[in-house]
Formats: sequence, C-alpha cells, structure tokens
Amino acid sequence: MSAPYHLARGLLDDTFRHFRECGCGRDECQALWLSPWSQPNIITKVVHPKHAAHFGGFALDDVWLNDFWLELGATKTGIRVQVHTHPSEAFHSRTDDEFPIIHTPGFLSLVIPNFGLGPVGFDEAYLTEIQPEGHWKEVTIASRLVLT
Amino acid sequence: MIEIQEENDRRGGDDPVEHLHRAEHDLEQALERSREAACDVVKAEAEVEKAIEEIEHPRQFKVKVLYNGVDKTFEVRPEETVKHLLDQAISAFGAANPHTLSLYKDGAELVDGQTLKEAGVKPEDQLLLRPSKVKGG
Repeated sequence: MSAPYHLARGLLDDTFRHFRECGCGRDECQALWLSPWSQPNIITKVVHPKHAAHFGGFALDDVWLNDFWLELGATKTGIRVQVHTHPSEAFHSRTDDEFPIIHTPGFLSLVIPNFGLGPVGFDEAYLTEIQPEGHWKEVTIASRLVLT
Repeated sequence: MIEIQEENDRRGGDDPVEHLHRAEHDLEQALERSREAACDVVKAEAEVEKAIEEIEHPRQFKVKVLYNGVDKTFEVRPEETVKHLLDQAISAFGAANPHTLSLYKDGAELVDGQTLKEAGVKPEDQLLLRPSKVKGG
C-alpha cells in the first residue's frame, strides 16, 4: 500500500460544487483529482472533464480527453483519483470497473452517493483501488485519503 | 590541364610528330581520369541518396509515448506493428487490465494491425497511450 493522498478541504468543496452544478441532482458527473509527479501524494487540482451524462451514467468527450492527456504531459501531472456520483447508493458498477481513465495498480476510484447532494464529505462514499493483478478491490477511505 | 600544357611547352623544341603522340597520350590519360571522376560522382550521389533515405525512413528510430503525464522513449522499427509497440508501452507503464488502452497520434487512434510505417509514425513522434473510452454508470 502506498502513502495516502492528502486533499485540501477546499478541493473537496470544489468537487461537490461541480457535481451539484453540472449534475443538478439528475445526472451523474465526474471529477478528477491530480497531483504533480514531483509530489504525487499531495492533490493539487480538481478537474471537471467535458462529458455527456444522464441519470445512470456518463462518458468523457474524446477530443477533450486527448487535449487533457497532452496537458498532463506538459505540466508533469498525473491523475490519482477519479471521483463520480451515483443517483443513490455508492458502489462500483461493471462499467466503472471496465472503463476507468487510469489502469495502473494503486489508482483510486471514489463514488459519491445521491448525486453529491448530501453533506460535503465521505459519508456513504465508496472507494476502490486497482490491484496489481488488475482487478478492483474496495479499500477504506481513511487508509487512502487524508483531508487537510 | 595546366601541368600538361607546361609539359608540352617544355617539349616545344622536340619533333612535332613525337610531340603530337605525347599530347594524344596525355589527352587519353586525362579522359580516363575524367571518366573515373564521373564514376566517383555517380557513386557519391548514390551514397547521398541512400543517406537521405535512411534519415527519412530509418530502419530503427525513437518515439515517445505519453501516459498519465509521463513520457517514455521506445526504440522501434518501421515494419513492427502498432500492437507490438502498444504491448511494450502497456508493460512499461505497468497498466493492468488494459483492454481499453490504445495508441494515439494527432488525436487519431492508431490501428493495431498496421505497421508503424503504415500508421505514419515517424522518428521523434509523441504518441499518447490512453483509454479509447472513459465512462461510468
């Protein structure tokens, strides 16, 4: 297990703001938490990807993704956690398992329940991590994320 | 040419017929050297053409692959397939369960079965290793 990611409270606030403004309590939404490769354990940025969404899912825009990939290279930054909402219960669906943005072991996926309309925080949230063999496994939030 | 003329001037007092024979001999030698020089020029031009061909279409060259903000360099050959480089890149970056990962150039997904030459991959190109689809539900 690698050291936990440190996330400033303000970045979590921004994440929920994106979910509420974009999803409006009726569509799923995604945010990405980034950190520089020089200091990977400190999350420094929240990105709200361009995407299409509906009540039960979302898909990222391909052109946006290509440009974003180049931006990551130019800024020497990596995606550490993908965060998305579910309409009600938080869990990892089969689609979530099969179409993540990053495929390397240790990558985290956080699911926020109720379209992110609840209290800002990790209540009822679900966190899962890619294992060395490639499958996802639920992990405790406290073991991977530290709010600062 | 100047040397031959000087030699002929030096021999100016000799028998004219003998002088003519020597001049013809000198001319034949000069023509032979000219033919050899022309042959060397042709060979040199062929070498230059070959060198340009190797620069434009080298047998082995380097490309960069970018994944999640990190660049890695790979030595490739034009006749190897996109799939071969894709597998190498997936392994180098340690991606697990990578069935949605593909290589991209200029925003377009490269076809796995094509050779790098057919795919238009050139020396020092930067390719992206990224998912072809990202979605959730």
